[in-house]
Parts: sequence; C-alpha cells; structure tokens
Amino acid sequence: MPEYRSKPYSHIVRIVLLLVIIIVAGVVVRGKVLPKSFGEYGHYRGDAIFDEMKRPVRNGTNASCLVCHPYIREMHLNGVHHTVSCEFCHGPVADHVKDGKVIAKLPKKQGKEIRRLCLRCHNQIIRARPKESIKMISMPQHLEEKHVRTDHICNQCHNVHAPLMWVKQAKAMVGVEEDSK
Amino acid sequence: MKEIEREISQDRRRFIKKVLGGSIAGSLLLVIPAGAMDFGNIPEQIPGMRKQTGPFIKGKKFAFVVDITRCIGCGSCCVADKNEYKVPDGNYRTWVERYIIDDHDNVYVDSPNGGLNGYQEPREDLPYPVRDTFFVPKLCNMCEHPSCVQVCPVGATFQTEDGFVLIDYKRCVGCGYCVQACPYSVRFINPETHTADKCTWCYHRVRKGLLPACVNVCPVQARKFGDLNDHESEVYKILHQPHVISVLKPGMGNKPSLHYVGLRREVV
Repeated sequence: MPEYRSKPYSHIVRIVLLLVIIIVAGVVVRGKVLPKSFGEYGHYRGDAIFDEMKRPVRNGTNASCLVCHPYIREMHLNGVHHTVSCEFCHGPVADHVKDGKVIAKLPKKQGKEIRRLCLRCHNQIIRARPKESIKMISMPQHLEEKHVRTDHICNQCHNVHAPLMWVKQAKAMVGVEEDSK
Repeated sequence: MKEIEREISQDRRRFIKKVLGGSIAGSLLLVIPAGAMDFGNIPEQIPGMRKQTGPFIKGKKFAFVVDITRCIGCGSCCVADKNEYKVPDGNYRTWVERYIIDDHDNVYVDSPNGGLNGYQEPREDLPYPVRDTFFVPKLCNMCEHPSCVQVCPVGATFQTEDGFVLIDYKRCVGCGYCVQACPYSVRFINPETHTADKCTWCYHRVRKGLLPACVNVCPVQARKFGDLNDHESEVYKILHQPHVISVLKPGMGNKPSLHYVGLRREVV
C-alpha cells in the first residue's frame, strides 16, 4: 500500500503560491485602475497640474481692455481711478472677446446701479475704511452740500473713468471767467 | 522673343498681385486691431513665467500678502473671483469678512454673500456704539504643511513642488474630508461638479504670467502677490522689513504662505 502522505513542505508551497498569485493580481489590477500619470511626481495624477494650467483665463488685465479702447484709455489712466479694474464694473473680458473677435457687448451699468458701484468704495457710513486711502462721502449729505437734487446719480457730475476730470474742467472754466471779469 | 514676352507678362502679373495683396493686407491691418485680445499679447505681470512650460515653476517661491490696513471692503476681489471661475452662488473661493468691535469690546463678524455685493449698509442691530471696524479678506492659505492633502483618500488634492495646493477634479470623489480638515474653511463641495473646490491663487493665470484675478482688480493694493526669491519684489520687502505681520492660526502648524499685514488679535 502506498502511503498517501504529502511532502513535508507542501503547505509552504501552497501559501507561497497563493501569495504570488495575490501579489501579481494586485499589481495587474493596480496598473489597470490607476490613471496614467499617477505617482509621476508624488501621490497624485501628474497630468492634473496641466489640466489646471489649461483652465481658461476669463479676466484679463486693464491692458487687455484698453488696447482696443484708446479714448477710455486716455481718460482712465490719467484720472484718479487708474487703479480701478475695468472688469470690476463691466464684467470679464472673456464674455466680450473670444479668439480676437467681439462675441457680445458687456452690459452697461445705468442709473442706480452706478451709484451702488460707486458707494461700494466711497461710502463713509461703513466707517471701516482707512482714512487717507480714498475719498469718502456720505449720501445724501454730499448731494445736499453741492446743492443738487438728492436723486442725482454720481455720473451726472463725475466721469466714472476719471472722476475729477469734469470737476477740474468746470473749475478751470469758472476760474477763467473770474479772471476775465 | 516670345519667351521674353511671356516672362515680362508673368512679371507684371506677379507685380500686380503683390501690389494688390499688399494694399488689401495693409487696409485690413488698419481695420483689425492687430492681435488684440490674444492673452499672449497682454504684457506679462509676473516676468519670465511664459517661458516655463514644465510641470513645476522653477526658481520662484510665491507668497501672498493681504494688507488689512488698506482693505476698503469694496468686494472687487470677490466679483473678479466669481467671474473667473463662475463659482456657484452661495460658495466662495475668496470672501471678505467685516469685523466690528464695539466699546464694550464685543466682536461681531459678518460677511453677507461673502462680500460679493460690497458693504453698502452699516450694522444697525448692535447694542453699543461701534469703536472700530475693519475688513479681512480670506482665501486659500497655501500651507506648507497642508492638512487637506494629508487626509485625501484618493490622492485628488496635492501640493506641487512649487508650493501650490491644487485639486484634481477628475479624481476627487467628493467625500469632503478635506473640507473638514482645512483649518481655514476655504474648501467647499462645488454643487455643480460635486467635487471639492477652493482658491488656487489663480494657478492658471500665474502660469500664464498674470497676477491672480483678485490681486489684479484690487483698487487699493490690499492684496499683493509676488516672488520671495526676488529681493526687489514688494512681498519680499514687506516680509523682511519691520511690519505687523502674522498668519492665521499659527498654532495649527500648517505654515501658511498667506501673510496678513496689520492682523488684529480678534481675527480668527
């Protein structure tokens, strides 16, 4: 009668075999499941950097607006509002121009919207603003002081691009008249 | 003889073609503003960035400085940010907080709609007279040791070698661990993409040589962005000269690259 006895190390062979199968299967599955550039630079997908890089730019700079609007450029850059961004009031350039062509007009702010925009920065009531940085006014006291109707909109006296331009011009004109008298 | 005639006539034809072509091209140039609105033609705001095409920015170490003694709370930054990323309503990649301290030293903080509409009205529900008010813009702190990267289970948020903490929107499963881990609450789950989202300091703009959208629009230069390796840059000068400078929650050990000038004790 032959003895049905397994070899003394057969259980080790079985365990090692099983481990090898698990490891191989793991490596294969990992290779299939992980995205291509994963781990290229660290524990992340390397191509994600390039994906983020390719995100379209929607806001330009003031230079990108003023290159096509030379008249506004002249006013805006010489006025006290030269640090104010075009796109803050008008909207992002990507909604206006695409691939060198005008695709749509940006909405024009009118009436009370303009006053609201102005008061975002110039409203004295908020009190939180550093004193010397910009001019503060309180409404409607400012309009009363200047002896105009209190429903006036800011851009009736101030050019929004160069707020002091018309004021200065008017003063100069008055000054000239006074001189000539 | 015939050959010569043919050559002359060919020459004429060529000459006329060239003159016509030239004049048409010339007149077109007058009509179309040359190359306008191609972003490559906007002057570079961060010099040398357009030459770099590799995965990481070489030779620069960017820092962000917010000067709260200058911020006027106009909310231009929030508007620019919403326009740049079409951030869904109710979510903010950057926002401006208003701090109000009354004469009993009570502190009130509010940020209606993240400061997107500016601050048009004073707070009128306060029992005591207001002693002091100031604005604090908030955005991603770009930590040197980011908690959000540590907790991400799928490797969807990561720190690049140049210090930017970015999100892989294709890989994110929207579990929200990072939203909880961030000590500065700058992360949110974007309801449109269903992934985590946050301020990236406008990484895509920086790589194209443009300043972050919020820095670009700030009318009082309260937000500054620059290279710390450039000793002439404004941020280097601010961070290496006597100023009241601090970071948010230094005790968390995250080492933010976002620094505040004139930060008060009350700000959290």
